[in-house]
Amino acid sequence: MGLRKETIEGVLWSIPYLAVFTVFLIWPALKGLYMSLHTYPNKFDLTETEWVGLQNYVELFQDPVFYNAMEGTLLFVAISVPALVILGLIMALGVNRDVAGKRTLRAIYFSPYVLTVAVVTLVWGQVYSQSYGLINYYLGFFIDNPPGWLTSPDLVMAALAFMTVWWLVGFNFVIFLAARQSIPERLYEAARLDGATGWRAFKDITLPQMRNSVVFVVMVQFILQFQVFAQPYVMTQGGPKDTSDTLVYYLYRSAFSQQQFGYGAAMGYVLVAILIIIAIVNFKVIGDSND
Amino acid sequence: MTETTSQDSIRARLNGDTVRNVLLHAFLYGLAVLMAVPYLYTLSRSFQPTELLRDPRPYWIPPLAGEPITLEHYQYLLNNTLVVEWTINTFIIAAGATLLIVVIDSMVAFSLTRLDWPGQGLVMGVILASFMVPYYMNIVPLYQIVSDLGLINSYWGVILPAVASPLGVFLLYQFFKDIPVEYEEAARLDGFTTFQVYTRIILPLAKPILSALALFMFVYNWNAFLWPLLVLSNETAYTLPIGLVNLYQGNIDTPGLHMAVAILGSLPLFIIYLIFQGQIVRAVQMQGATG
Repeated sequence: MGLRKETIEGVLWSIPYLAVFTVFLIWPALKGLYMSLHTYPNKFDLTETEWVGLQNYVELFQDPVFYNAMEGTLLFVAISVPALVILGLIMALGVNRDVAGKRTLRAIYFSPYVLTVAVVTLVWGQVYSQSYGLINYYLGFFIDNPPGWLTSPDLVMAALAFMTVWWLVGFNFVIFLAARQSIPERLYEAARLDGATGWRAFKDITLPQMRNSVVFVVMVQFILQFQVFAQPYVMTQGGPKDTSDTLVYYLYRSAFSQQQFGYGAAMGYVLVAILIIIAIVNFKVIGDSND
Repeated sequence: MTETTSQDSIRARLNGDTVRNVLLHAFLYGLAVLMAVPYLYTLSRSFQPTELLRDPRPYWIPPLAGEPITLEHYQYLLNNTLVVEWTINTFIIAAGATLLIVVIDSMVAFSLTRLDWPGQGLVMGVILASFMVPYYMNIVPLYQIVSDLGLINSYWGVILPAVASPLGVFLLYQFFKDIPVEYEEAARLDGFTTFQVYTRIILPLAKPILSALALFMFVYNWNAFLWPLLVLSNETAYTLPIGLVNLYQGNIDTPGLHMAVAILGSLPLFIIYLIFQGQIVRAVQMQGATG
C-alpha cells in the first residue's frame, strides 16, 4: 500500500516550517510546564533539576513583588489601551473625511510605529527630562517647578503609557482607516434620507460596521501592552520605588538576573492564563454587546 | 419671507460646514505636528554643541539665534562605538529572518491550501492555536532550548525563533485558499509539476501580499528587543536596538550623543519606511482584516 504522491508532497512542503515551529514554539511551551514544576539548584549545570511540584506557583501567589508588578502592569494597560483605541479611531474617522493631504497625514501618524523601542525610549527620556526636558521647558512658562515625569511615583506609568500611545497609535489608525473605508457609502446615503446623520450615523452604521476591527485592535493591544517590558527596563528600571515594575520585567529579572528558571517559567504560565481570561472577558464584553 | 429664511439656513449650513472643516483640518494637522515634534527635537539636539547642552532653552534646527552646529556627536559615535557593526548585524538578522519566513511560510501555506493530504486540518488548528501563546511568555524555556542548541550569540539564535511565528502562515493561508482552482487544473493538464504550480502560478499571484509580508517582517525583526537582548551578550554581536540601549545606560550621558544615537539607530529603517510605506501599511491592514 503506497502513500499517495500528493500526501507525500504535502508533507514535504510543510516540513520546513513545521520543524522550526515545533522546535521553537511548541516545544518551549511544553518545556515551560516541566520547568515550572522544578527548581534549578545548580546555576552552572542546568541539567540538574529538582522536582518541586506546584511550589513555584504557590510562592508566586504569595510574592508581594509579583502583585506589585501586576498592579503596575494593569495600570499601564488601563491607561494605554483605551487611549490607543479611542485616539486611533478618532484619527481614522478624521482622515477618512474630506481632508487635504491624506497621504502626508497617514505617513506622519504611522511613522513612530517603525521606530524601535530603544529609540523611542532614548528620545522620550530627553523629552521627559526634569531639568533639560522639552515638556518642562515649555511648562515652566505656566507653572513653577514642573514635575519629574519619570521620577514621580504618581506620574511614571502615565508618562510611559503616553509615550507608548505616540509610538503605537499608528498601527490602530491604519487598521481603523481601512475598516472605515470599506463601509459602503450607500449605507450613509440611505441613512441621510431618513435624516440620520452625525452621531446617529456613527452609532448605527460606523461602529457596528467596524466592530470586527475594533474587537481585533482591542485584543491585540491588550495582549501587547500586557507584556510591556522595554519601557520600564530602559527608562526607569522599575522605579521610582518600584512603581513602574511590570510582570514581564519581573519575569525577566527572576529568570535572567536571579537565575530562578523554574520560577520564571511558572510566571510565564500564569501570565498566559491571565491573558486567556482577559481574552475571554473581552470577547464577552465587546463581542456580544449587540447580540 | 420663506425665501430669505431658506437662504439664511443655507448660508448658516455653509458656514457651519466651513467652520467644521477648518476645525477638522486644524485638529488633524495639529496632531501631526505634535507627533512630529519629537523628531525635530531629536534631530536638532543631535547637532547641538556640547558647550550649549547646559543651556535649558531647547535648541532647534535651524538655529534661531545663530547658535553653532556641530557634527561631533556623529563623529564620536562612528569612531568610538560599534554602531556600524550593529547596523550590519541587524540587517543580516532582519533580512535572514524575512527571507526564511517568506519562503517556508509560503511553502506550508501552499501545502495546506493547494495540496490535499490527511491531517491538514489538525496542523492548521495547532498553528492557529499557537497564536494564543504570547511570544514573551515562552522566553525562559526558549532560552534554554536555544542555549542547548549552542545558538547563544549567533545570528541563528535570533532568527529561528522569529521564523517560528505563525503570523505569516496565517496571512498567506487566508490568501492562498481564495485562489481559484481552475488555474491549477489547467496547469496540471499541461503537465506542470507541483513545484511549477507553486513557482509559476501561486507565487506570481501572491506577489503583492508576499512583498507586504516581507516588509512588515523586516521592520518587525529589525526592531525586536527582548529576544536579541537575551541571546546576544557579546558587544560585537549586538543588534542596533540592544547596542543603543547599552550606550544609553552605560557609556554616554550627554543629550546630544543620545539624540545622535537615536538618529543613527532609526535612520536606515526610516528610509525604508519612506520608500515602502504603502506595503508596510498594507501588511498591518491585512492583519486587521483577517483578525
